Amino acid sequence: MLGQQERNAARVMVLPAVGLLFLVTIAPLLFSLGVSFTNLQFGSPQPMRWIGLDNYLKLVTKDARFLDALWHTLLLVGAGVVTQTVLGYIIASLLFRIRRGRTILLSAILIPSVISQVVAGWQGRMIFNASYGPLNDILARCGIKGPAWLASQQTALTSIFLTDTWQWTPFLALIILAALQSQPHDIVEAARLDGAHGWSMFRFVTVPLILPVTGIGILLRGVDLFKTFDLVYILTQGGPGNSSETLTFFTYVQGFKFFNPSYASAMSFIQLILVTIAAKMFLSFIRRQRSA
Amino acid sequence: MSKRITMDVLKWVTLMAFVMLFLFPFFWIVASSLKSRGEFFTRPPVWFPAHLDWSNYPDSLGRGALKGLTDSFIIAFSSMMISLLLGAPAAYAIARFQVGREHLAFWILSIRMFPPIATILPLFVIFRFVGLVDSYSGLVLSYTVFNLPFAIWILKGFIEDLPREIEEAAKVDGARPLQIFHMIVIPLAAPGIVVAALFTFIFAWNDFAYAVIFSGSKVTPLPVVIAQFAGGHEILWGQISAAAIIAIAPALLVATFLQKYLTRGLTMGAIK
Repeated sequence: MLGQQERNAARVMVLPAVGLLFLVTIAPLLFSLGVSFTNLQFGSPQPMRWIGLDNYLKLVTKDARFLDALWHTLLLVGAGVVTQTVLGYIIASLLFRIRRGRTILLSAILIPSVISQVVAGWQGRMIFNASYGPLNDILARCGIKGPAWLASQQTALTSIFLTDTWQWTPFLALIILAALQSQPHDIVEAARLDGAHGWSMFRFVTVPLILPVTGIGILLRGVDLFKTFDLVYILTQGGPGNSSETLTFFTYVQGFKFFNPSYASAMSFIQLILVTIAAKMFLSFIRRQRSA
Repeated sequence: MSKRITMDVLKWVTLMAFVMLFLFPFFWIVASSLKSRGEFFTRPPVWFPAHLDWSNYPDSLGRGALKGLTDSFIIAFSSMMISLLLGAPAAYAIARFQVGREHLAFWILSIRMFPPIATILPLFVIFRFVGLVDSYSGLVLSYTVFNLPFAIWILKGFIEDLPREIEEAAKVDGARPLQIFHMIVIPLAAPGIVVAALFTFIFAWNDFAYAVIFSGSKVTPLPVVIAQFAGGHEILWGQISAAAIIAIAPALLVATFLQKYLTRGLTMGAIK
């Protein structure tokens, strides 16, 4: 049992941190929620007034650009999570199966995941440069005419996806390797003795064993892909047209280019709700898999 | 036996291919940072500069990268100090006295999920009102949004791993909770504090979303300088690549040092 003295000390210890976090998260969010129900727009001649859910209704029913951004974001999350998990698993299982040099290879592979996204974006700008970049040079040497990558509506979003995958696949490889290394030996051995191998071993033994840990990695990746901003800013600025615009980037454009904070606030709340629901659903999926 | 050797070779070849894929962009910017002006716009591109031209480094430092470096360092260091000073006691209180039960812990964790733009937008309006836009304090304050929860969560994990007996013995000897915290827990949790310090430093160092919006003409962290270089009319390939290498250096250093704790740090302590 805790004594009164300890309970008081504990409160004193958390108070500064909780107070500051309240000031920089909850308070601004409440402010933003309030603003999202108004028509506040900098430089607009109209007086500010309460407009209820109008911003939200306009977003989901009338704003095609918002729905495009939502679609691009979902594509990025889906393609990114699947590709990075599969590649991450391949790398992790290779590392898991070699006897020497695991640490040194892993640290080399991990470098992309510890650098700033701005640098990753800059590297992408050079690699994907249609005329002077190495990627199209390599393709040309193989007799393929490479696309314009960042400058084409068809490939701009793909270039963002590729850069993100380059940067974060190593992160998932690291997590999945940790998961593989923590598999209990006796369960794996027992399954092998029972005749599990190849696909059945993977599906019914490895996957359930590594899922709880891998799931955390996938969740973090999904959440971060949903927030993709830096790469869009550096690589394409959402263009050409708005072919590579993500939700966070469109929110930034509305708030800081069109000076429309009320509309942007409504947009950021929709994102907050979406990401919370998706994360909750994913976590309960993982929990069900574990108990099944 | 020979089949086994073939498999081993195959694994190594595939792994080396992956290593090259992940390291290639670094080779490309290192090479680019050493090219001279004429070597950027040739087709096919120059893969290996004819001679190493180091002038891009001093040139990029002179064009704002040095100011960026200083600003980034000041901001990252301050953010690290605040995260530790406020985070360590909070982590101890949550780990040992279960303050706020799981609600408080979960709230702190859930801040990790926030799209930064959701807090940036209102913070910008508030910062502009109180004059914190384009100041060190504004950026340091806004970095607590992600660094303070991180520090609390990582340190909570390290403190939970410490044996309780020493603290209990001190309590029997009449030590007060705050004395126990700073005379026993802090020294014992030193490795955790170092890990939290280095990670919070790197997260602040690498940030772009907050930096690009809260910075201005007075405060320009390095990532913002790089983005400005890259968004200009005349793109200075060599100088930007040099600045990018400078920006990577501390992150690389820290990552090598933290090797053992990377998983823990990158997953907010969810995986040890």
